[in-house]
Amino acid sequence: MKISSTYKKVAVLAASALAALAFTSAPTAAHAAPACDGKVPVTSCIGATSDGAPYSMMVPANFNGTVYLYSHGYRYNVDIPSAIPLIGGYKITNTPQPGPNATIIGYLLSKGYAVMGSGFARQGWNGDSGVATDVELINTFKTQFTKTTHVIAWGESLGGFITQGLAEKLGTQLSAAAPLCMASSTVEAELKMAGDFLWGVKTFFDPSIKAGNYSAGAAGYAEAMTDLGKVFTVMGKLQAGIGKELVTGAPSWPDTTPAAVKSMLGTIPSRSALLLIGLMAGLPAQSAHFDGTTGPGSPNSSSYTGFALLGSPALAILENGTNAAALAILATLDVEQQAGGATFDNTKTDYAAQVASEASTYSAALSGSTATNGMLAYLAAAPRATANPAAVTKMRSLLQWTGKISVPEVTMVGVSDPITPAGDSTYLANQYAAQYAAQIKANIKNHLPRGSSNLISIYGLTPTHYTTFDATGSPVTSTPAANGTNHCNFTTAQYKTVADLLAYASTNGKHLSGGPLLTAVRKMGGSTVDLKFQAALPKYYSQD
Amino acid sequence: MFVQRRTKGGIFAAAVVAAAALVASALPAHAETGVTSSTIKLGVTIPLTGAAAPGYNKIPAAMNAYFSYVNANGGVNGRQIKLVVKDDAYSPAQTLSVTNDLILKDKVFALVGTLGTANNEATTRLVNSQGVPRLFVNTGFSGFADMKKYPTTFPLFPSYATEAKVMGKYLADNFAGHKVALIYQDDDFGMDALKGFSTAGTNFVAKIPYAALSQADPSVVGKWITSIVAAGADTVVMFGVTSATGALAGGLYKANLIGKVQLILGSVGSDGTTLKGLLGPLAPALAGSIAASFLPSPADATDEYITQFKAINAQYNAGATFDNNVLVGMNTAMLTVQALRAAGTSPTRASLIKAIETKGSTWASAAFSPILYSPTSHVGYTGYWFGKLGLDGNAVSVDGPGKYTLYTTDSGSAPVVKAVASRPAMPAKGLPKN
Repeated sequence: MKISSTYKKVAVLAASALAALAFTSAPTAAHAAPACDGKVPVTSCIGATSDGAPYSMMVPANFNGTVYLYSHGYRYNVDIPSAIPLIGGYKITNTPQPGPNATIIGYLLSKGYAVMGSGFARQGWNGDSGVATDVELINTFKTQFTKTTHVIAWGESLGGFITQGLAEKLGTQLSAAAPLCMASSTVEAELKMAGDFLWGVKTFFDPSIKAGNYSAGAAGYAEAMTDLGKVFTVMGKLQAGIGKELVTGAPSWPDTTPAAVKSMLGTIPSRSALLLIGLMAGLPAQSAHFDGTTGPGSPNSSSYTGFALLGSPALAILENGTNAAALAILATLDVEQQAGGATFDNTKTDYAAQVASEASTYSAALSGSTATNGMLAYLAAAPRATANPAAVTKMRSLLQWTGKISVPEVTMVGVSDPITPAGDSTYLANQYAAQYAAQIKANIKNHLPRGSSNLISIYGLTPTHYTTFDATGSPVTSTPAANGTNHCNFTTAQYKTVADLLAYASTNGKHLSGGPLLTAVRKMGGSTVDLKFQAALPKYYSQD
Repeated sequence: MFVQRRTKGGIFAAAVVAAAALVASALPAHAETGVTSSTIKLGVTIPLTGAAAPGYNKIPAAMNAYFSYVNANGGVNGRQIKLVVKDDAYSPAQTLSVTNDLILKDKVFALVGTLGTANNEATTRLVNSQGVPRLFVNTGFSGFADMKKYPTTFPLFPSYATEAKVMGKYLADNFAGHKVALIYQDDDFGMDALKGFSTAGTNFVAKIPYAALSQADPSVVGKWITSIVAAGADTVVMFGVTSATGALAGGLYKANLIGKVQLILGSVGSDGTTLKGLLGPLAPALAGSIAASFLPSPADATDEYITQFKAINAQYNAGATFDNNVLVGMNTAMLTVQALRAAGTSPTRASLIKAIETKGSTWASAAFSPILYSPTSHVGYTGYWFGKLGLDGNAVSVDGPGKYTLYTTDSGSAPVVKAVASRPAMPAKGLPKN
C-alpha cells in the first residue's frame, strides 16, 4: 500500500538503551574497610568486596539511618570493537554505581539518606555474584556506619533481578525493595524473547547470522562480533526496505534474504515478516518513536491511517528489535560461556501458537491471514536451534527469583519496555498474589487482621499519540523516547516517587495506600498502580 | 516524602459518616466503579477519524441521542447515563491506549458497542483482567461468543459465520448455476465467513482475499477485477467493509462491468448512506445489489422501531441522516438501557453480566432475529433477511416493502431455517420498562 509520496526515510536505529551509564569516580581501595574522604556535607567512601567488586558509598552528615543500595543493570562483559555500529567502542567497566543517576542520588542525600552500590565483580549475567556482592556490601556499610537502621534495596534491569534475588535471600533484613524494569525470573526466560527474535532475523533475512552456539574462547567472541555487525547491517537494510515499501507498495527484502524465502514469501512486504517475528518473540509493537496510532498528514487521510496501521508497528519492532538482537548476541555469548555450550533451544517452539492473539490484532500490518499463515509455515519448516543439554542444566542452576516477598516492594516498568517486558513485573505480581492470598487466609484463621499487600506495581503507560513527522512526512526519531517505551526509561519524578514510596514503607513497615498512593502516582504522571492491571506475560511464561 | 493521613477526631468523624450513611440510604447505593448515586458512566471506542471512520463515526452520536432521551425521561433507576466516547481511528494500538484511559482514568462501569474485531481483540487482556463488562460489541466475529476466552464480552450482531451460512443458502436457492466469486477481508472477519460458506457447501469460481485496508490501493482492486473476469464470474459476493464495497464498485465501473455482474453484499459493507458518501455520483451503480441485514431497513416507514428511533434522532441528534449506523447506535443504546435496568438499583459489573445472561434474550430490540443470551451462551442475533439496494442506497426486502423473511442458523453446523420475522414490540415511547 502506498503511504505517502513525500515519505522518504525512516531513521530508527538508535541504541541509547544499550549505552552503559558511565560514572567517573574509580575505586582504588582493596578489600577491607572502605576508604572514606571524611568530607562534609557528604562523606564518600570507596572500596572493594572480597570478590573484587568495587563499590561506592555516599553518606550525608545528617544521615538518618537508612541507606539505599542500588544494583546496576546489564553491562556487556566483552569489549565491542569500534567498527560495530551503534555500540562499538564499549569497554568493559566495573565502575560502581550508587544510584540511578546523579539527580536521584543528590535527592536522597539531601533528605538524609545514604546511598551505595557496587560495580560488581563480573559483568554480563551476574545474578549469583551480584547478590553475594550486595550482601557483603550491606555488612560492610553497617560496620562502617553503625547508625544504620534500615537498608532499602533497589536496582534496574538485571539489577532489578539482583534486587529481587537479594530480597528473597535476606527477607526482613531489608526494610523495602524495588526491582525496577526487572529481568525475568531466570536467564532462560530473559533470553527467550531475544533468542526467538534473533532466530527469526536469521531465518527470514540473513541465514549467515550464527545466532548462538558460539565457539569457546576468542573464536566465539569473534563470531559474536561478526553477528553483531551482520544484525545491525540487516536491520539497516530492513529500515531502507520498509521505507521503500511504504512509498511504492512493492515488497523490498534485504539482499541477504534466502532464495527460498523470496520464492515463497517474496510477494509479502518485508515489514510484515519483521513484524511477525517481533510479535512472536513478544516484543512490544510500540517503541520509543513509533506509537502504532499516528501517521503523517491529516488524520482522515489514507496515508495517515496506512502508516499508523501498516507501517508503524513494523518500525516499532525494528527499533525495539535492534536492541533485543544485540542483547541476544552478547548475553547469549556470555551465558553460553558460563554454561559451557549452546543454551537456546526452539526445537519444540510452536510459533503459530505463540503469536496467535497478536496475529489477529495486527492482521492488517501482517498483510492478512493468508500471508501470516504462509510465513508461519515457512518458520515451522525452518531449521531450529538445538541446545546442549548439559549447558541448559548449568544455566538453570544460576540464580532465579521465585516471587517471594517479605518486605514492602515496589516494581515499576514501562508497558513497552523492549528488553525487560512489563510482563516480568506482572509475573512477579502473580507469583506474590498466591502468597498474599495464603497470608490473608492464615490471618483470618488466626483471628488476625487481613494484612495489607506488600507489593505496589507501577506501570508506565504510553501516550496515545507520540510519533512526530518532519515537513517531508518522514517520522522523527531524534526526540526523547516516549513514556512507557524504551528500556528502564523513567523520569526524575518517577524515580523520586519510587524512592519516596520505599522510604515510607521502610519507616512504617507497610506501603502507603489508598488516596495518598493514588495521588502520588498521579502526580508523577504517565503511570498506573491499578491492582488489576496485567501486562502481557513474556512468551516464556505464556503463549497466550 | 509521604504522610498517610489518619482520621482525626474519631467520634466526630464517625458521627459524620453515620449521618452521611443515613442520607445515602435514601439513594441507590453506588459502590461500583463508574456508578454513583446519580450517574452511570459507560465507554465506547470507535473510529471517529481515519479511513474507517465514514459511517461508523455516526454511531456514538446516535447512542448518545438515545441516552439523552432516556435521561430526559428519568434515566435508569434515577441515574443519568454518561457515555465517554474515544476515537481509536480503527488502530488496535490506539484502541488499547484509549481503553486504558476509559478503564483506568475515566473509570467506566462498562464498555458498550466497541467496534472492530482486531480492536476488541487488542483490549481483551485488559478487559478480562479488570472484569469490565463489554456489551454488544460491534463486530460479528464468532470467536467473541467464547465465554471462556471472553467471559465479560457479549456479541450482538449475528456472527460472520452465520451470515455466510445464510448467504450460502440464499445463493443456493436463488443463484443456482451462477458462477459466483468471493472477495473477502483476509483476517478473522473473512476466515469466519469462509468457515460459514464451507459449512453451507457454497462453491466459488474464485476466492479473492485482500488484507484489511489494502482496498485503498488501486492495484489491489485491479487484481480483484482481473480475477473476476478470469473466472468468468457473473455474481460477486463482497465480504468486506464498506470502503471495500466502494472500491469494488469503482473497479467494476472502470472495467465496464456494472450491470453485468450481480453484487451480493455482506451486512458490514452495504450501508447505503456511507456508500453514497464514498462513491458520490457513482453510487446509483450499486442499485440492484443484494444485501444481507439483520435490522429493518432504515427507510421502512412502517416499522415501529424505525419511526420511534427517527423521532428521537430528530430531537436529540441534530437531525443526522437516519441510516444503518444511526439505527445500530440507537438499538445498541436501547439494549444497554434494558441491561442496566435489569442489573438492579445497585448495579454491579457482576449483576450486569448476570442480568444479560438471564434476561437478555427477552429484551426489545429492532432486529428480527432472536437473541440467544443465557447463562451458557453469549451469542447474540442469529438471523438475516435479504434486500435489494435502491437508487437511494436503501435496501428494500426482496419479498417486498415491510416483508421480511428471516434466515436463521448458528455459527456451527445447524441448518439454515427460513422463518417469518418476529420480535418483541417496541416499548411505549421507546422507553423500556423491564
